[in-house]
Amino acid sequence: MAEIVMPRLSDSMEEGTIIRWLKEPGAPVARGEELVEIETDKATMTYESDAAGVLEIVAQEGDTLAIGEVIARLGDGSPAPSPAPVAEAPAPVAEAPAPVAEAPAAAGVDPPADLPTDVGPVQGTPPVEPVRSAAPVPHVDGSQGRVKASPVARRIAKERGVEISGLTGTGPGGRIVKADVEAAADTGPADKGPRLSSVEERPPGGTDRQGASDGSPAPPAPAPPPPAAVTSGEPGSAKGEVTVTEPTRIQQLIARRMAESRATIPTFTLRVTVDMSQCVDLRTTLKVSGAETVPSFNDLVVKACALALAEHPSANGAYRDGKFERYARVNIGVAVAAEGSLVVPTIFDADQKGLAQITSETRALAERVRSGAITPPELSGGTFTVSNLGMYGVRSFEAVINPPQAAILSVGALEARPVARDGEVVVRQQMDVELACDHRILYGAQAAEFLARVRGILEAPLSLAL
Amino acid sequence: MATMRYREALNQALREELLRDENVFLMGEDIGVFNGAYKVTQGLLEEFGEKRVRDTPISENTIVGMGVGAAMLGLRPVVELMTINFSLLALDQIVNHASHIRYMFGGQVKVPLVIRMPQGAGHQLGPTHSHSWESIFVHVPGILVAVPSTPADAKGLLKAAIREDNPVVFIEHEYLYGQRGEVPDDEDHVVPFGKAAIRREGSDVTIIGISRMAVTAERAAEQLAEKHEIEAEVIDPRTLRPLDLDTILESVRKTNRCIVVEEGWPHGGVGANLAALIQEQAFDHLDAPIGRVTGADVPMPYAKNLEQIAFPHEPEIIDAVLATFRDI
Repeated sequence: MAEIVMPRLSDSMEEGTIIRWLKEPGAPVARGEELVEIETDKATMTYESDAAGVLEIVAQEGDTLAIGEVIARLGDGSPAPSPAPVAEAPAPVAEAPAPVAEAPAAAGVDPPADLPTDVGPVQGTPPVEPVRSAAPVPHVDGSQGRVKASPVARRIAKERGVEISGLTGTGPGGRIVKADVEAAADTGPADKGPRLSSVEERPPGGTDRQGASDGSPAPPAPAPPPPAAVTSGEPGSAKGEVTVTEPTRIQQLIARRMAESRATIPTFTLRVTVDMSQCVDLRTTLKVSGAETVPSFNDLVVKACALALAEHPSANGAYRDGKFERYARVNIGVAVAAEGSLVVPTIFDADQKGLAQITSETRALAERVRSGAITPPELSGGTFTVSNLGMYGVRSFEAVINPPQAAILSVGALEARPVARDGEVVVRQQMDVELACDHRILYGAQAAEFLARVRGILEAPLSLAL
Repeated sequence: MATMRYREALNQALREELLRDENVFLMGEDIGVFNGAYKVTQGLLEEFGEKRVRDTPISENTIVGMGVGAAMLGLRPVVELMTINFSLLALDQIVNHASHIRYMFGGQVKVPLVIRMPQGAGHQLGPTHSHSWESIFVHVPGILVAVPSTPADAKGLLKAAIREDNPVVFIEHEYLYGQRGEVPDDEDHVVPFGKAAIRREGSDVTIIGISRMAVTAERAAEQLAEKHEIEAEVIDPRTLRPLDLDTILESVRKTNRCIVVEEGWPHGGVGANLAALIQEQAFDHLDAPIGRVTGADVPMPYAKNLEQIAFPHEPEIIDAVLATFRDI
């Protein structure tokens, strides 16, 4: 009986929510098979089983559990012992006036729902002092679910495909040793422990909810269901009905990080107007020439920032825990709006990559964000962020710094404006950008130099092709 | 080949090296006129004179300190401390000076010094004269540590130690001084440091014996074969720094079980260190936890009956081996 616990799927993950089980209870699960979708603070991920066996679901869809808590068990298919073992039923009897939480908490086991009524702590307990003596919590074996086998036995079992949980150990304390595994592997199938394949041959014991219990791949994951809304309030009150919803994990993370940013970072903002006329010409030329990938204006901005960041280490760093961190790699996060959320996938080593590569990578990442397939590694490691609302006609804005990064660039709309040039009024393609900076690491003059460099590159974009 | 006692093999090594290299000389308490507390230096004063074989006052830190200075200036001193118990008085010179000087001066000077001393229990010498302290010296980077268990190794390792350019703590054993064994006649019989000896081949369990315990382990292995049909492979590392971990790992990968036997205390001992190294590098080859058989975690008793149960003998080793196979 192997226990599956809530896995750590990202560095910052503390707990996860079961979005959807991809296998039915009672269905055979092979090692490496997709088992469950879990929502972390960063993304929804599909978790693959790292053991084989028959699935017993512990955590229900929608449950949120801390890392390390048991979400399922993989058994050998034998029916669960019934009635439940005494060790799992330490709940106090209903009539005992003990605090309800006391006994199960002490045992560290969730009381099963169908608690047998005859296992309560009723050994002549005087009612005066129910708490201490009324719950003689039976000893729960700390190694419950863990098969006792030596390292070499485990290795050989894996190499030879022997399911170790089906063996009887002959070593000290019943430990399964090398000889036990070799004996199982060498004798005929009748004497073998259950092999991996034999588990899959078992008839599916599950219901027909998804029909996936025959081991065929589960259908692609739909987006996580929106959290249930709660309606309250008087329809006639000033705000009318109030709909209260729980934020998703990503929304919680955004809330926390943005508040932290505004509350702790001494921010100042520089604003410049960039003449994008040559960038417009560059794109037109590329389009006319039939280039396969034509970079967006945002891609041009990303590349320009990457080149400038490589030259301005203070902008490519962080003030963190009272220390300056300066990063060797230039990894630019590109803010992408997703349904009800905001995620920032990372273009790694943007200073080393050509425009065409940045363009195609950004498109692929944005697509993965929208389809919910983005993974935590693709969302971490950023050293600077570019946020663009120009497509909505926003002329300029000041984005919130994505901590612990030193700065964020907000990109406004590109528009034709009359400007004075050599004493004449001419029409040029203009774009406003704002650089919000953490003054603890990035100071005014450095920030201005950095921003001037970004502007210079965009106004003479031929250098982007170099 | 000639059969001789361990102390005679050491004497032969000293004599041959004194003859071979005029920079070699000996210092220690009672090593000259008295021929050595354990008679290892018998006849050497007579043969080589007071310049090469020097009696010293009772001052261990000074004896080693003089050796360090002489070695820094190009000689090859071999100093004897009467027992390892007194090496504590010389720890400053051994640890802070002998072992560090080559590093501190960027290799400009070397310390080709050999510090000989016997250890071990069993002679009713009480808590202050019965220590086994290889673990203390193995802890220190910059000194090499030899723990010969046979006359042949005593001679070959001592000759290697004298020819070595780094300081060597050469740990002999009081019990072994009188033991006989075959020793090659060759004047260049040198046993290289960092090469373990497989005393007995076997397929079922690896027993690593340190110093005298290599001998005890070999006897235990014979009984395991006779009475329990367990073929133990017995390894004597011979030097603990450098350590021939490869030979040990190769054996453990074959047998899947390992017991380390030492005479010293359990905490922070050589066995603790070896167990850590083995599990780090051969975890997936282990069929049982690595066992340790050590001296009892007490000051050495004086009473003979208590002393005998305070350091390992064959029955404890056999029990430790059996415990890796079944409940006992």
